[in-house]
Amino acid sequence: MAESTEVLEEKKIKVKEREPLFSKKNKKLISDPLDENNPITIQVLGICSALAVTVQMKAAVVMSVAVLFVLILANVSISLIRNLIPNRIRIIVQLVVVAALVIVVDQVLKAYLFDVSKELSVFVGLIITNCIIMGRLEAFALGNKPWPSALDAIGNSLGYGMVLVIVSFFKELFGSGKLFGFEIFGNATEQTGLYAMGYMDNGLMLLPPSSLILVAVYIWVQKIRNPSLIESH
Amino acid sequence: MDLVNIFIRSAFVDNMIFAFFFGMCSYLAVSKTVKTAFGLGMAVIFVLVVTIPINFLIENYVLQEGALSWLGEEFSSVNLSYLTFIMFIAVIASTVQLVEMIVEKISPALYGALGIFLPLIAVNCAILGGALFMQEKQFATITQATVYGLGSGVGWFIAVVLIAAIRERIRYANIPGSLRGVGMAFLITGLMGLAFLGFMGFEI
Amino acid sequence: MAINKDSNTYTISFAIVLVIIVGGLLAAIANGLKPIQDENLVNEKKQNILNCLPGNKSITRDEAGSVFNNFVKQRVILNYNGEIKENTLLDNSIELNNKDSKDAFSIDLLKEYKTIKDEKSRNYPLFICDVEGKTYYVAPVMGKGLWAAVWGFIAIDESGNSISGTVFDHKSETPGLGAEISQDFFEDQFIGKLISNEDTYKSVEVNKPGNPLNDYQVDGISGGTFTSVGVEEMMSRTLVVYHKYIKNLNRS
Repeated sequence: MAESTEVLEEKKIKVKEREPLFSKKNKKLISDPLDENNPITIQVLGICSALAVTVQMKAAVVMSVAVLFVLILANVSISLIRNLIPNRIRIIVQLVVVAALVIVVDQVLKAYLFDVSKELSVFVGLIITNCIIMGRLEAFALGNKPWPSALDAIGNSLGYGMVLVIVSFFKELFGSGKLFGFEIFGNATEQTGLYAMGYMDNGLMLLPPSSLILVAVYIWVQKIRNPSLIESH
Repeated sequence: MDLVNIFIRSAFVDNMIFAFFFGMCSYLAVSKTVKTAFGLGMAVIFVLVVTIPINFLIENYVLQEGALSWLGEEFSSVNLSYLTFIMFIAVIASTVQLVEMIVEKISPALYGALGIFLPLIAVNCAILGGALFMQEKQFATITQATVYGLGSGVGWFIAVVLIAAIRERIRYANIPGSLRGVGMAFLITGLMGLAFLGFMGFEI
Repeated sequence: MAINKDSNTYTISFAIVLVIIVGGLLAAIANGLKPIQDENLVNEKKQNILNCLPGNKSITRDEAGSVFNNFVKQRVILNYNGEIKENTLLDNSIELNNKDSKDAFSIDLLKEYKTIKDEKSRNYPLFICDVEGKTYYVAPVMGKGLWAAVWGFIAIDESGNSISGTVFDHKSETPGLGAEISQDFFEDQFIGKLISNEDTYKSVEVNKPGNPLNDYQVDGISGGTFTSVGVEEMMSRTLVVYHKYIKNLNRS
């Protein structure tokens, strides 16, 4: 009965049964994606929605929380029914589960966090095709128990959120002189603070290409610190 | 004229990759050689042109408020718009599956060329993103929606083939170790994106 | 456990069960949250209308719902010639109905422009408001910016000559550049600007920032050229209808 799931993935990380909730292996599930196996910079997953919401830190944080929520629930529920899913339609089943969860997030945002949902607009929907979610479902949840799957989800969405927050920090700070909407460098229209000395916001930071360049720099720094991650070519 | 405008806008100004980063995952994955990039690019164009009109019909005759009124008076106030995501993704996944089977039957040569890329496309954000933007832009006719799908696909195609060509060229370049691979791909895309900013606000 | 997971029967029944569970769950959630979402949308529109009235900038979305009728006295739909459409002049004693096409509040100008090709047959909603004994006319405007739609509400004074306040919003203009149109510093520039020259309509121009301004000009946003042009265009195109109405009203 379990064969079909086992042939799917060779890269599956097997977790031993009956170990303490926070064994070394389980802790690694959380800490790995933060650095060595970061979903964005190393696994190269989930970039689509990531870069588009990084203009303001607030949107980036909300997006990370939404992904965290969806990824945990999706990972756990797929892991729970992993032995029931017919192999042939597994991609569609995963998509349906994720889509349903995303609809829930979208509806809740529209009802209780109206302003934020306006800001994220179509990007909430794109969580569905966020490769992080599908990637983790295929690579981990389909072959592991619910608890490790939940940890894996937390780790990966934190790793994802971390990159989002760092990129949006630079974009918002240098693009509009603000952080979370608070004016850090003074007010640009009234020429106070730094602006009085002739400082100007860098409008380019707000445009899409600068996110790509910032992520490139992030990868660069990360790989200088940890040379074992360097690709052969 | 309207159609030309929509095409130019979706292919260059609102380019899937450079303006919205849609489909970045597969974009980075297949852009190592021009040949694979070309294959996936063609497949994306194809799937967008097929799924956008279907999703347009679903949006207008099933999902929108009052869209079900063709079923009868009593359905005219039904609003199923909360099912948007799930319907769109179902359409995309099943279209991809269907297309795969049809192509396999009719043209094995094309299937050989596209084969491995087709299943990948269901999870390509460019396809769902295209559908959601189509909904957002509220096109008046199905022709406009189809042209939008074609334009978005062509935009994605251009982006992926261009970067693949660049990456092929710099294969033997002496790049600092820590930037090799993904890092360099991001940088190149960023620079290409800067160039594409020149199209901003372009209109015919 | 002799279930053959690859059999057609199993696959199909699995799919059916999944669809039923997911469908039921979603329908329940969507219907449960629908009233709150609708209220958000209605309140946001109310807030926008109230915010462009003088001295009302700080009204929040939650307050807007309850104080709307204190300010908005009448709702009316105009045709392209600035005449009142039949049966559409509603007093604020008549409860707001977002579904009734005779109620100005239900009219979405964006939809009018999208779906009705002939400008003569479009509906133009207008809100007649009262702030401390003075009458103001609040009119919606809509156009397009760089990426997608931009829209707003403009309050015009009783004489129909000048602007008393504006609110702008946008779908997805570039944050920090075009998106600045929804900031106070941009909106407040319009206060006191003239839209009338000897009773004929003259639109407000949005200029390159830094140049001297006359009574018909405001500063645009540097770096947000297309959005600024969009604002100018939508005001000149839409306000002309309301201008006709107010001027006719004052003449008679």
